[in-house]
Amino acid sequence: MTLTLSGPGVASSSAAASVEVSGRDFPTNRGGLCRKGWSSAELLKHPDRVLEPLLKNDDGEHHPISWDRALELIRDRVLSTRARYGADAVGVFGGGGLTNEKAYLLGKFARLALGTSRIDYNGRFCMSSAAAAGNRAFGLDRGLPFPLTDLGSARTILMLGSNTADTMPPFVQHLRAARDAGGLIVVDPRRSATAELTSEGRGRHLQPAPKTDLALLLGITHVVIMEGLIDESYVRRRTNGYNSIVRSVAPWWPERVSSVTGVPARLIRETAHRLAEPGGTYILTGRGIEQHANGTDTATAAINLALLLGLPGTPGNGYGTLTGQGNGQGGREHGQKADQLPGYRKITDPAARKHIAGVWGVPESLIPGPGLPAVELLASLGQPGGVRCLFVHGANVAVSAPNASSVLKGLRSLDFLVVCDFFLSETAAEADLVLPVLQWAEEEGTMTNLEGRILRRRAAVSPPPGARSELWIMARLAELLEAPSSFPDDPETVFTELRAASAGGLADYSGVDYAMLDAELHLVELHRGELHSRELHDGGAGAYWPYPAGSSGTPRLFVDRFAHTDGRAVLHPVAPSSSAHFASAPDGVLTLMTGRLLEHYQSGAQTRRVVDLHSTSSEQALQIHPVTAGGLGILDGAEVEVSNERGTVRAAARLSPAVRPDTVFLSFHFPGTGNANVLTSSETDPVSGMPEFKTTQVLVRVHRPAQSEVVGV
Amino acid sequence: MSFPERVVVVGFGPVAARFIDVLEPSVVSGALQLTVIGSEADAAYNRVLVADVGVGRTSPSAIGLSDADHLASLGAEVLLGTGVRRIDRARRQVLLEDGAVRPYDRLVLATGARPVIPYLAGLNPDPLHPTLPDGVTALRDLADARVLRAVVERRGDVVILGGGILGLEAALAAAEEGARVTVVHHGDYPLARNIDDGGGLVLASALRSLGVRLVSGAKAVGLEQSGGGAFTGLRLDDGRLVSGDLLVLSCGVRPRVELAEGAGLPVSSGILVDHSLRAHHDEHIYAIGDCAEVRCASPSCGNCSGNTAPSGLIGPGWKQAEWLAESFAADLAGASSGAQRYVEAALPPVLMLKARGLDAVVAGEVSADPWAAHEDGTAVALWADPQQGSYAKMVTRNGVLQGLVCVGMPRAGAELVLLFESGAVLPPDRSSLLRLDGAEASASSASSVTDPAAVVCRCAGVSRGSIEQAAVVGCSSVAEVSASTRAGTGCGGCHADIRTIIEQHFQQPASV
Repeated sequence: MTLTLSGPGVASSSAAASVEVSGRDFPTNRGGLCRKGWSSAELLKHPDRVLEPLLKNDDGEHHPISWDRALELIRDRVLSTRARYGADAVGVFGGGGLTNEKAYLLGKFARLALGTSRIDYNGRFCMSSAAAAGNRAFGLDRGLPFPLTDLGSARTILMLGSNTADTMPPFVQHLRAARDAGGLIVVDPRRSATAELTSEGRGRHLQPAPKTDLALLLGITHVVIMEGLIDESYVRRRTNGYNSIVRSVAPWWPERVSSVTGVPARLIRETAHRLAEPGGTYILTGRGIEQHANGTDTATAAINLALLLGLPGTPGNGYGTLTGQGNGQGGREHGQKADQLPGYRKITDPAARKHIAGVWGVPESLIPGPGLPAVELLASLGQPGGVRCLFVHGANVAVSAPNASSVLKGLRSLDFLVVCDFFLSETAAEADLVLPVLQWAEEEGTMTNLEGRILRRRAAVSPPPGARSELWIMARLAELLEAPSSFPDDPETVFTELRAASAGGLADYSGVDYAMLDAELHLVELHRGELHSRELHDGGAGAYWPYPAGSSGTPRLFVDRFAHTDGRAVLHPVAPSSSAHFASAPDGVLTLMTGRLLEHYQSGAQTRRVVDLHSTSSEQALQIHPVTAGGLGILDGAEVEVSNERGTVRAAARLSPAVRPDTVFLSFHFPGTGNANVLTSSETDPVSGMPEFKTTQVLVRVHRPAQSEVVGV
Repeated sequence: MSFPERVVVVGFGPVAARFIDVLEPSVVSGALQLTVIGSEADAAYNRVLVADVGVGRTSPSAIGLSDADHLASLGAEVLLGTGVRRIDRARRQVLLEDGAVRPYDRLVLATGARPVIPYLAGLNPDPLHPTLPDGVTALRDLADARVLRAVVERRGDVVILGGGILGLEAALAAAEEGARVTVVHHGDYPLARNIDDGGGLVLASALRSLGVRLVSGAKAVGLEQSGGGAFTGLRLDDGRLVSGDLLVLSCGVRPRVELAEGAGLPVSSGILVDHSLRAHHDEHIYAIGDCAEVRCASPSCGNCSGNTAPSGLIGPGWKQAEWLAESFAADLAGASSGAQRYVEAALPPVLMLKARGLDAVVAGEVSADPWAAHEDGTAVALWADPQQGSYAKMVTRNGVLQGLVCVGMPRAGAELVLLFESGAVLPPDRSSLLRLDGAEASASSASSVTDPAAVVCRCAGVSRGSIEQAAVVGCSSVAEVSASTRAGTGCGGCHADIRTIIEQHFQQPASV
């Protein structure tokens, strides 16, 4: 999403300026915005904004305090926690919406100022499986290793578990050529808005039973191998491990896969053949196949398929994953992950540690080792040996983390909780101390978009007087905690340090600076159409990492080699675990999938505060098939209870044939009795730490009949 | 017990391969020492796909399930092309045909099954060592596939004896690759032992339309042979002759039990094993897959009544292999002290025809009469459209599928199999399952709504009424409407709808 701001007062950036949003003609969105973008300015002057630090008193209410007092209080609590329980009793939870500068400094702050290894972030719930699969296969994880506009030339696009028509509507423009060629193939257990795009001969919708994506991919791959559709020369020249893949997919012939997935064998064969046709083929994955306890393996199966077809790195073809959060890409590169240092370096790699210690000017021994991935980190809250004092930045874990009731319990058992937010989110409401911070239009920085393209964020308006930037907060706290190294609060200075820290890493930003990004921005604005079309052809503009000093960046990765030492991609065999029992559920048990709605974003802390969005979608709704609902005596609009051993959610029933009869759907945007994550479990992927969000077993029953029923219509 | 534990697997087919796969971590860790003995020259491959190799659709290398070199590199011993002479249970060792000996702590028999050779004049009746005349083959291994391949390649005449699922799959594949194919079978239609009348007749007609000639109700009595002894035709008991270049025997399989039998282990159709897959009376010997018959010693066991013969299908064998390997691994990890573990009883087999041009699936008990009054809660739902080649039958008891037939309705068939295997209760409206294959299932739900409140642009949330209003105040292009209402500014998918609304608006005043 790209925005420009206009209206009187913008030039002076005065706090009084009224702000309007419009779509900027940028290659990724082509001028398009969705409702969340159009309405985003409403949040800047929203009456709910937190405008001064708030301390929770003994009465359980938040009361304003001064910044000085707030910072001193934090210092005291950190020092006392550290003294009593050790440095790892202080934890940090970050977010994929933070700018690169904030994400980078947060990692440094945790490790040097707090001295803790306990830092992770909400991207663990989002991109971690795709990232782990990409690293394993390619040696590197950049969501799209090509400019998004490359999709515009494709004849066939396979979208696995991605509902961009709701989650990123302007993206749909890039699907036009493939749809015109009848080549949009959508895999989703729901007939989502994106699946609808395949109707009328525009492509195919494969609607597998939940939990069976991996088997479906193995079936398609089986056909590709059995029927000689692989790109033999590519596989020979550019990959390792082919024989192991043959063996792993031989048991998955289409009819067997059909009896597991519910997808007709014929459709599996057609899909394999279509993908292998010339003319440009892309395979894209989304959270639907990634947010599983076997998400890394499922993403790997998609990559294997792409490699066998010779797609990655071949002009006009490719594999990619569609990154979700605003800075979901940059946020996973610069050190707010438990196992990572800036530049997408491994925290366990001695050379990486040495380099970062050098940039930070500290002895290497001062950098803690790997911490805990998000779900484990949250499970440790208040536990013996766990985190007792937590900082939360850009995340609303009380709503967004799986098994939310136990997370809430964990938050309440902390000795001290500090939440940086601009609204009193459900997590901030639990905080001992809430620190008001800046919004998007009030701050400077950079973001890295889903293509690995570094973009400038520029302040358009002045923040409210009481709010502070998180860089400032970290810098002041670092002073008070007498942290080693330096903690600048100026974004450009932080970025300069990030460049040095990332130099030589996988995500190398060393050749990029603010001046250059700003100049490019102006260029795009000045030359719109002309530059736009040139970009379509050569992708020449834009700062795509890796961008080492002296280079001009890398719009397209893997053209000549992959990032493993030998330059080859790894085909890693995967299979459903033998104990995975398909589709066998006790009577009446339905599979709950969670996901997004068009109107809302993440935990809804922002979008639920926008009148236009909230009025369209103001309450939790359960999507349920009419046949299933009929069997349960549920009419459209009835209030239902969705429950399992972890808890109960109330929702309004929305009868829809778009969802499979064995499946129900809830969005994850609502708190309290509507919080879908009360039902999800803490089970995670053994490789990525990704929670299982899509196959929760639930029972559904009527709580209160639909109104029409009551009045007897 | 010696350490590491010595595990010997006899047989190296798909079931043995799966067993070894799951056991691999224990081999790598050195917790056990594995020997695999296979009689074929190749490591395990997917037998289900032999017909595909036979018609030239794929190559033997693409159907491999195991890699002998890889296993050897992990420290396993792999003996290919090696027969086992006998099992010495007293000494706990197996004697190989070359006289060598392999001791075991646990012996896993995965000897599979061999094709049934029918009694026909001109065929050698020795079932253990059949020597078939030229132009006659079974379709069980890669050598058989090569024989078929030669005939299909020159688009010869293939006669398939047997109307079971494997015969039909071979017939359809060969026909599709250009061979002339005749299926000679018992009964009025193929799959007669599994399918009901309606489904069988729709299936038969679909097969014919795909170029497969059916000789129904036939009983073959002997071969016609050339002077050199090669097959030229199949003689039926009514005197008819079905001539061809190759006879493929697809008359079922019989478990290979002679090794167990020779060692004095109890054998029925297959090697008898209990619910832990352990041979009766020998706690060191196990059997899995096509050679194993799960029937425990307890006369009151509900799972062991009726026909317990191995199904001949791969699915149950793979489940047994996974279960047994996991159970071994748990034993080695010292986790065996818990409750007795039992392998899940196999469900009635699902026969899903593996074919490109024809979708057919049969499972469970399907003979129930839809019109009869059933007292045990059995109900039958039926759909038949023989002219369009579609047929579906759902036999339920208290709402749970006991059997199904589905021909020519791929999506319904696949979903019914899911419901059959999960044991879930069917929706009261059974027709909802049939509609999955309907044209409307893939049509867009967006219809030509004229309701002013209907949302035209989902991205920006703009209703038809708002767009019409924009037209009323003069917006005459999509761009103008977008600028005024934000409609069409997201994904752009509604531009055509906006254009239509504008055109409708400006036509109306003109016509008034």
